Amino acid sequence: MSIQTQRLGRGLGWRPELDGAVAHAKLGFLEVVAESIGSRRLPAGVEAARERGLAVVPHGIRLSLGGAEHPDARRLEHLASVAERVGAPLVSEHIAFVRAHGQESGHLLPVPRTREALEILAENVTIAQRALPVPLALEHVATLVEWPDAEMDEATFVSELLERTGALLLLDLSNLFANAHNHGYDALEALTRFPLKRIAYVHVGGGVFRDGVYHDTHADAVVPGVLAMVEELHALTDAPGVLLERDDDFPPQDQLLAELCAIDEAARRGSERRVG
Amino acid sequence: MSADRTGYAAKQAALLEALLRGGEPPAGFAAAKAHAASQSLRRKRVGAVRHAWPALTVALGATFDERFDAFARTTGPPAFGEGLADGLAFVSSLAPAHELGDDVRVELVFARAILVRVRRDGGGWRPRRGPFARIARLRHPHRLLFVVHLPRLGPRHASVALVP
Repeated sequence: MSIQTQRLGRGLGWRPELDGAVAHAKLGFLEVVAESIGSRRLPAGVEAARERGLAVVPHGIRLSLGGAEHPDARRLEHLASVAERVGAPLVSEHIAFVRAHGQESGHLLPVPRTREALEILAENVTIAQRALPVPLALEHVATLVEWPDAEMDEATFVSELLERTGALLLLDLSNLFANAHNHGYDALEALTRFPLKRIAYVHVGGGVFRDGVYHDTHADAVVPGVLAMVEELHALTDAPGVLLERDDDFPPQDQLLAELCAIDEAARRGSERRVG
Repeated sequence: MSADRTGYAAKQAALLEALLRGGEPPAGFAAAKAHAASQSLRRKRVGAVRHAWPALTVALGATFDERFDAFARTTGPPAFGEGLADGLAFVSSLAPAHELGDDVRVELVFARAILVRVRRDGGGWRPRRGPFARIARLRHPHRLLFVVHLPRLGPRHASVALVP
């Protein structure tokens, strides 16, 4: 039985370029990058989706919960205010850092998988949770570089963090696939040890292999290996929501809709195996 | 065990520095993977600026990547504003805007409507909260572009042709 009670259904990461797809696909929810929502009106496509009854989940990318500093009060306030404005059932952020010594990375970077990092991260997550009006889900990130001297693997690290803080899991199957491929371990085996009962929703995004390295681009089709993970996940547990991420190189609408269907199909095949 | 945030910060700063500069990573990191990560970071950064500044991308053409690399070597990614703010800092480091053509000039005015430079914090950009108005003289055709940006309403613009 899962902790998260809200059923979200089929989702799409909102971008202005995807307004057409959002209007035509039968979606249950959208995810919006929290930092892209200003103090003016919500983007028309997001407002229209809300009016049609879609849930909207703010997804933060610059809080730097994995950083050494406490989360910035202004950034937390912004995330909380976006959650309130869209009537969000939850918000999500990352197990990552994006700045150090005042220097921005511009991208999500991994944290060391050590007891020390776990303590700092848990403290930062607790501070964030106190400032937010809704539950917080945490996403693990894809990374090409790994910290040396890891004390535990990613599944264990994420499980411990969520156990300590009570935060929910934003399970990113593409990130898990990417890390397993690039750092040499079994993705499906690792999946079974993630805290699946804490899933708030799932991310699925496209990527590409280049010179033996898998790049989680969100600008390409979802590879068969990731679709297989959608199926395997649903063979293990029910997921409240599955969201497709497409950030760039936008395909024609019917291609995007077909991809959403392929994800649905993989989920259905997995669920059939679970319930028989 | 009480966590040492200071030491933790130093380790993260060292990794970040290496990834941004594309140089040798700190001890213990696999050099090839760090290099791949560094390239990926740079590719994403350039991609975000190109996406936010399509006219600038066209104007710079084949020289875009090289000129952005030179800029990126001395200026890190922005704290706010992502590709728009990054591109604004980039454009500001190039030749005077009018030399880049009307389309870039228009992009620049609209970016300035949304972002304002902060004097402290090393001169980064923040979302503009107050009203904004600017007139830009464009050349092809010869006209004046009026841009007004009001909080809650967003940018509005109008062009007036200039009689030769």
